[in-house]
Amino acid sequence: MSSLALSLARVLALGAALFAASAVPAHAAAGHPGVVKPPASLAVTKPLGAAPAGVTDLKFRELFKLPVGPQGLEPTEKLAGLDGKRVRIVGYMVQQEPPIAGGFMLSPLPVAAGDADDSYADDIPASAIFVTLPKGADTIVPPLAGLIQLTGTLHVGARDMAGAGRVAPAVLELDRAPERSLLRQAKTIATSSAKAR
Amino acid sequence: MPHLLRKTLPTLILALSGGVALDAAAASISRLTPPSELFASGEADPVVARFLPGQLFDLQATVQPDPGQTIRSFTFYVDGDFVRRKDGTLSNVTETGPAETCIDAQSGKTKGASGCTLVAGLPANTAVISQRGYSNAKPGVHELKVIARQYDGKEISAVGNFEIVGIDKGEGAVAKNIIVLLGDGMGAAHRTAGRIMAKGYAQGKAKGKLAMDTFPYTGMVMTASLNSIVTDSAPGMQNYVTGNKANNNEEGVFPDDTLNAFDNPRVEYLSEYLHNLQGKALGVITTADVFDATPASNGVHTSARGNGTGIVDQFLDDRHLTGLSVLMGGGRKWFLPNESNSVSPQPANGSQRRKANDYVLPSDVVAGWGAAPGKLDPERDLIADFQTAGFKYAPDKSALDELFKRGVPDQLLGLFAYSNMNVAYDKIAGRRGDGTVVDEFGFPDQPMLDEMTDAALKVLSKNPNGFVAMIEGASIDKQAHLMDSDRWPLEVIEFDRAVAVAKAFAEKNPDTLVIVTADHECSGAAIIGASVKTAADLEANPALGKDAVGVYEAAKFPKYTIAEDGYPTTTNVDHKMLIGYGANADRYETWLPNAFPTKDTQQPFPPSESPANPSVRNEGVGFLVVGQVAGDQAVHTGTDIPLSAFGQGASLFHGVFDNTDVMFKIGQAAVGGVQ
Repeated sequence: MSSLALSLARVLALGAALFAASAVPAHAAAGHPGVVKPPASLAVTKPLGAAPAGVTDLKFRELFKLPVGPQGLEPTEKLAGLDGKRVRIVGYMVQQEPPIAGGFMLSPLPVAAGDADDSYADDIPASAIFVTLPKGADTIVPPLAGLIQLTGTLHVGARDMAGAGRVAPAVLELDRAPERSLLRQAKTIATSSAKAR
Repeated sequence: MPHLLRKTLPTLILALSGGVALDAAAASISRLTPPSELFASGEADPVVARFLPGQLFDLQATVQPDPGQTIRSFTFYVDGDFVRRKDGTLSNVTETGPAETCIDAQSGKTKGASGCTLVAGLPANTAVISQRGYSNAKPGVHELKVIARQYDGKEISAVGNFEIVGIDKGEGAVAKNIIVLLGDGMGAAHRTAGRIMAKGYAQGKAKGKLAMDTFPYTGMVMTASLNSIVTDSAPGMQNYVTGNKANNNEEGVFPDDTLNAFDNPRVEYLSEYLHNLQGKALGVITTADVFDATPASNGVHTSARGNGTGIVDQFLDDRHLTGLSVLMGGGRKWFLPNESNSVSPQPANGSQRRKANDYVLPSDVVAGWGAAPGKLDPERDLIADFQTAGFKYAPDKSALDELFKRGVPDQLLGLFAYSNMNVAYDKIAGRRGDGTVVDEFGFPDQPMLDEMTDAALKVLSKNPNGFVAMIEGASIDKQAHLMDSDRWPLEVIEFDRAVAVAKAFAEKNPDTLVIVTADHECSGAAIIGASVKTAADLEANPALGKDAVGVYEAAKFPKYTIAEDGYPTTTNVDHKMLIGYGANADRYETWLPNAFPTKDTQQPFPPSESPANPSVRNEGVGFLVVGQVAGDQAVHTGTDIPLSAFGQGASLFHGVFDNTDVMFKIGQAAVGGVQ
């Protein structure tokens, strides 16, 4: 590809990525009825400001060392150093079917996964992490569209998340504030669904 | 079975069903395997199941006894003769899961829930009866009969048929080496597009031929699977190398009525047949994750193509059956130990080994096939186990080269990516100095398919008994699904360069048969013309793309410049070739290349710049092409695909034939010989 074409193509691709980040993307909801807008406090519609005091921003691409060595993936020093610390991370909620109570996967790209078919589980990038709601173990978070920001305490280490059909490299235990937003939204939706019936 | 239990079992079954009245339908056999039209409709033709002389397969029937009854014993007969039984090769599988979970109280039918044994919708007392590892050497159509006996003495029977396709001996020289090059999803349009890009046309004539175009024999292949006119890649491949039709998603097995993905009735692969008969080695080489449907459909038996852990384990565990000597591709995540498979945290190494997709075989399969029993062992370090078994391991191109500097290894494992390997478009960009994509994916040093092919053939040709090699250009399909018209043509070119390596090998080793084909067509690709706009015009104003398609004479002859590495210097030429899709989902089109590949469903580290799918790629920039299929990717089609053959036995491959016919043509070439 010529350098001009490459530059332009990059701009076009980035434009698509920015578009995806700046609105509720249709593709995130495609094929997943019931997808809802995330709580306003979690939705990412523009570049974020600095992380709150005591919170470290963590990007998905910062989880593993690149290039990959001859064996498995290796956690970065940054990831290892954040074990037990509060972090903020931006990603897409994995559209899981059936949904998981008490948590969900967070991915750098909008993806869907079905535990009944492991080939779907293979959709999920290696860097996807698991997010838990400490006080909402029985709550099913409705599928959220678009990019969301989450803060919580990071627990580093591979775990087989049976419900997700996936081994996750880390778990984010949500802070009380984002958890409350998600629980409130889940309760509102559950109530309105019950009334509709 | 104890006498008391035998007497009370019918009552127990009734109790398990919740005490409701069971279906009063007469006892019957709802499935007889191998499948046959005779069983399905009473018509003797067409004969669906065909085998080479001595090729192993399982006999199985699903029996629905009278209400309150169970099956006490069963016998299979072929042409009226009792089928001899080897120890441990029989099984009678019934629903043994908890009644409240597995039996619907209202209907008395199975629910097929997790933790149950049988699929949904069967009477609670259904039995799946099997006899494993049968074979027959006598050519011709044979009648298969099963008789199942209830405890009350009543017999239930059904009749089907199968055929043993004879091999004519002494017809000529045999093909010692069999190379099957499979361009996944590669239809006629994909081949043509690769030729236009790689060779160019002038005044109506191709200025050169692809390597696959030079093969002396070409036929057209019908690609339907057992349950659809449109196949997926599992039966698309396995139909070639078992001689039998499989359901979509299934590899080396016939469908059944149990939930276990590893207990389906098996059929022997070409690799197993020729390893057993002649001691041939097997090589599986792919640009995909090695657990993917096409590579797995050469040596792994499962009804669920997604069971990555069990699939890669079987590759190693059953090498004594297949002769596996070379395994190369992506998919390292299935080989890394997941130490606990539990909720306790382990060092994160990217392993995706899980008990849920691992395998353990029932004892009758182990006894009938001599297969390894398997184990639910996510903690297994499979790379280490391959090395212990004598395989040399190469994690990248440099390591592969280094291995061969020390001599040609006897066995070779190459795992060059975490999942699928990057595509040629991006690998070549990396070699030319722009590693943006391959660096972000974490694997900047991946070999090209022709390099993998060369290495594989060197290893495999050390076996004095010959080999079977399956070499797959996997991402012709994956990029066609994504309707990336700049990336899949380069996949065709990469694949054709591997074809050239195989052809050169066959020229030096005339006892080699080389077949180039596909498993199915993907995307309904069509060369609809060429752009009437220049690249600069389209870049300056992508909206011009709406009116860019020049048809008929306006298309002229697109011209690409091929670099010394064998690939186009750019695909973004003035008046470029344009591709339409007849099996498309929605996409936004600019006719311009995208710097980052659209997210492949199995890629490990998708750069954030990678569009999620074609329905958002170029959104807001390109024009919307409304698709005809749901979802966000193009789909496979039922269109016939071309097959070209070269070398010893190639003359058998002409005309229009079924994909299962290929097995018997190869059998003739490898065992009986061809003039």
